[in-house]
Amino acid sequence: MRFFAAVALFVLWLVLSASYDLIHVATGAVVASLVVWLSPSGSSHVRRFSWMAALAYIPWLFGRVLKSGLHVSRLILDPALPIAPELVHHKTNLSRDGELVVLGNSITLTPGTITVEVAPGELIVHAIDAKSHQDLSRGVFDDRVSRMFSAKEDSQ
Amino acid sequence: MTWLAIVLIVIGLFFLIVGSIGMLRLPDVFSRAHSLSLTDSLGAVFVLAGLAVYEGFSFNLLRILVVLVLVYFLNPVIAHATIRAAYRSGLRPTKRETK
Amino acid sequence: MTTFFFFVLITLTALMLVYFYRVVRGPSVFDRVLGLNGISTKAIVLLVVIGTLFERVDMFVDISTGYALLNLVSALAIAKFLEEKGASQK
Repeated sequence: MRFFAAVALFVLWLVLSASYDLIHVATGAVVASLVVWLSPSGSSHVRRFSWMAALAYIPWLFGRVLKSGLHVSRLILDPALPIAPELVHHKTNLSRDGELVVLGNSITLTPGTITVEVAPGELIVHAIDAKSHQDLSRGVFDDRVSRMFSAKEDSQ
Repeated sequence: MTWLAIVLIVIGLFFLIVGSIGMLRLPDVFSRAHSLSLTDSLGAVFVLAGLAVYEGFSFNLLRILVVLVLVYFLNPVIAHATIRAAYRSGLRPTKRETK
Repeated sequence: MTTFFFFVLITLTALMLVYFYRVVRGPSVFDRVLGLNGISTKAIVLLVVIGTLFERVDMFVDISTGYALLNLVSALAIAKFLEEKGASQK
C-alpha cells in the first residue's frame, strides 16, 4: 500500500514537472519516497477500502451532481424564486472519520445540499428545498459510501 | 473535437452565469452557498473539461485534469468551512428547522 | 477560435464583477468570504483559458494549481478566525 502511494506521488511529480532529465526524475523519486517514509503508516480512519466500488462511485456521483444542478438552476432562474430552505438532521450509521469525510464532501459537492456540521452519527445538512434532500433522507448516499468502505475483498 | 470543446465550454459558462445570478438573488448566506457550489462543481469543471478536450492528447491534458481534480475535491471543503463558521457564530437560515 | 476564447475571457471577467458586488455590499462578513471564494474559482479557470489562448498551458496550469492551493489555505484560515471571533462585526 505504501509502495502504491509512493508511485502515485511520483507520477504526480512527473505530470507536473514535465521535464525528464536525470536530475529532475531522480529528485522526484527521492522526494516521493521521503514523503511516504515520513508519513504514518496504516491509517485508522478507514477499515477497508474497495477500489472497484470507488471507481463506480465517481461517475454515479457526477450524474447525481448534474441532475441536482439542473434542478437548482431551474429554481434560481424561476422568477418567483420558489425556494424553501431548511436544516435537516441526518442520522447515519457511518462513524469512522474517512467515511464521514467522503459522505460530507459528496453532500456538499451536490448542488442543493450543504453539510453544515459534522459529528459521529449525525450530520446537519442545509437543503435549499424538499426535493433536494429527499434522496439523502432515503439513505442513498449512505448505502453507496458504506459499500465503498466495507467490501470484503481488497482490504488494506 | 473542437466542436465538442466549444459545447462543453458553453455548458460550463451557462452554469457559471446561473451561479452568479443566484449569488445576486438568493436571500441569505446559506442559500448563496448553494449557488457557489453550482459554480464550482459544474461550471468550472465543464469549462476545464472543454479546455482539456481542446488540448488533445498530450501532457497538458493531464495537467488540466490535475487542476480539475483539485477544484473538485477542495472547493467543497472551503464551502463547508465558511458555512460552518457562519453556523457556529450564531447565524441561522430564515426558515424552519425539521427533525 | 481566438475570438471564442476572447468571448470566454470577457464573460468570466464580467461574472467576477458580479461577485465583487457581493464582496462590497454583502450584509454579513460570511457573504464577503463566499464572494471571494467565487472570484478565486473564476480566477483559476481564467488562468487556464489565458494559457490556452497564448498556447502556454504548461506554464499557466502551474500558476493556477498554486493559486488553488493558496486559496484553500487562506479560506480555511479566514473561516477558523471568524469562527472564533463570531459574527459580531459586520
